[in-house]
Amino acid sequence: MPGEDCRQFAAGGPACRQFDRHLAAYLEGEDGPEVLGHAQQCPYCGTLLADMEQIRSASRRLPLDEPPARVWANIRAALRAEGILREQAPPWYRSFPRFAFLPGPVPLGAFACLVLLGLTLLVTSGGFGPNATLDLPSRGGTMIAAGVISPGLDEAMARTLCDMENAYLARENFLEPAVKTVYRRSLESLDASIQESLTYCQREPGNTLAQKYLVNAYKSKAEVLASALELGGR
Amino acid sequence: MSTDKTTAAKVASETQLIARAQQGDEAAFAALFNAHRRRVYSLCLRMTGDTTEAEDLTQEAFLQLFRKISTFRGESAFTTWLHRLVVNVVLMHLRKKGLLQVSLDEVDTSQEEPVKRDYGDDDRRLIGSIDRISLERAIAALPPGYRTVFVLHDVEGYEHNEIAQIMDCSTGNSKSQLHKARLKLREYLRHQQRRRAAEVLRSSELEKKR
Repeated sequence: MPGEDCRQFAAGGPACRQFDRHLAAYLEGEDGPEVLGHAQQCPYCGTLLADMEQIRSASRRLPLDEPPARVWANIRAALRAEGILREQAPPWYRSFPRFAFLPGPVPLGAFACLVLLGLTLLVTSGGFGPNATLDLPSRGGTMIAAGVISPGLDEAMARTLCDMENAYLARENFLEPAVKTVYRRSLESLDASIQESLTYCQREPGNTLAQKYLVNAYKSKAEVLASALELGGR
Repeated sequence: MSTDKTTAAKVASETQLIARAQQGDEAAFAALFNAHRRRVYSLCLRMTGDTTEAEDLTQEAFLQLFRKISTFRGESAFTTWLHRLVVNVVLMHLRKKGLLQVSLDEVDTSQEEPVKRDYGDDDRRLIGSIDRISLERAIAALPPGYRTVFVLHDVEGYEHNEIAQIMDCSTGNSKSQLHKARLKLREYLRHQQRRRAAEVLRSSELEKKR
């Protein structure tokens, strides 16, 4: 009878112990007819084998994470300080005259938005609550669900990100296509992370890891937008 | 365009970027960073389980890469060179923190310990319940030695002989650490699954009472 052998193994059955001995090698790709044979007969070992294969395949499909924009800023600053970077204008700076008509305070505005967002996140990072949600989509795709982080303050955060994103969208066509593509991809990836984290926050209001992911994703998006606005404003 | 042609074009374009970076061209450095930043950061994040450390290590790895780029002669693939450098940076960091030595020196008892099974009603499989956040949380909860071998093998696709060389241990040790890491992940994920099921049950009972 299937499973009987395993119930005996609960007290030290030999077939399951033999299965354990060969399992690691089987998962490494070695032939293991005894592993497969036993897994088909014993529901507990069958479950173990299925779980191990599932973990292995899920690990291979893990998506890549986006580093915050400050990482490149810090690297560039260090390389400049060490004299490794040659002082020359990168290709997108060569089209500088095209940006001349843009208002001067754009980088300053982006910085102010970033500071505002940072303060909002700082204030809200202590209090998360299971509240009703109200989607506040922006033109560009920023997703903020009111009440997920903290009631009331989410809306201010949404407005800040929306303003930054709309400002970016108004200027992105002036960026060099390659640079625009990099920013587009970063923003799409961050939107996907925000959406995923929001789903978790709404489903599990006490999930602090999902909340941390969400706050980090918002912060990263603000940084990417600020960096893009700074570039587009030159 | 065929895959081979796409790969060849990518390699050619990367070779040009490296040559420009060797001349100190900032745009080339930026392009190389953009091409590899996500994979490097993700590797650092998964090996440390901490976003702040991952940021610092990504920065350190790229700085080391750019400082050494003038010595790159193309004997090996650039990606291989970069990822080996990243792994070394992370391992050095973990060793400095004293996190790696203990778990790698552990006596291999995997063949002696019986594998945990649920001999009760709860023999549900994990299939369908492994999502990104649960899995990343489980990986972050692994002891550093197990986590490193697991990430290098199951996430990054390194072979055991390469891991043994990188981590200065035997291939047997690498295999044993990997198996134990997978078993620990399973234990953690099943625990989470049971907890979630209990929460669902509790809330449905509360609903019925209302």
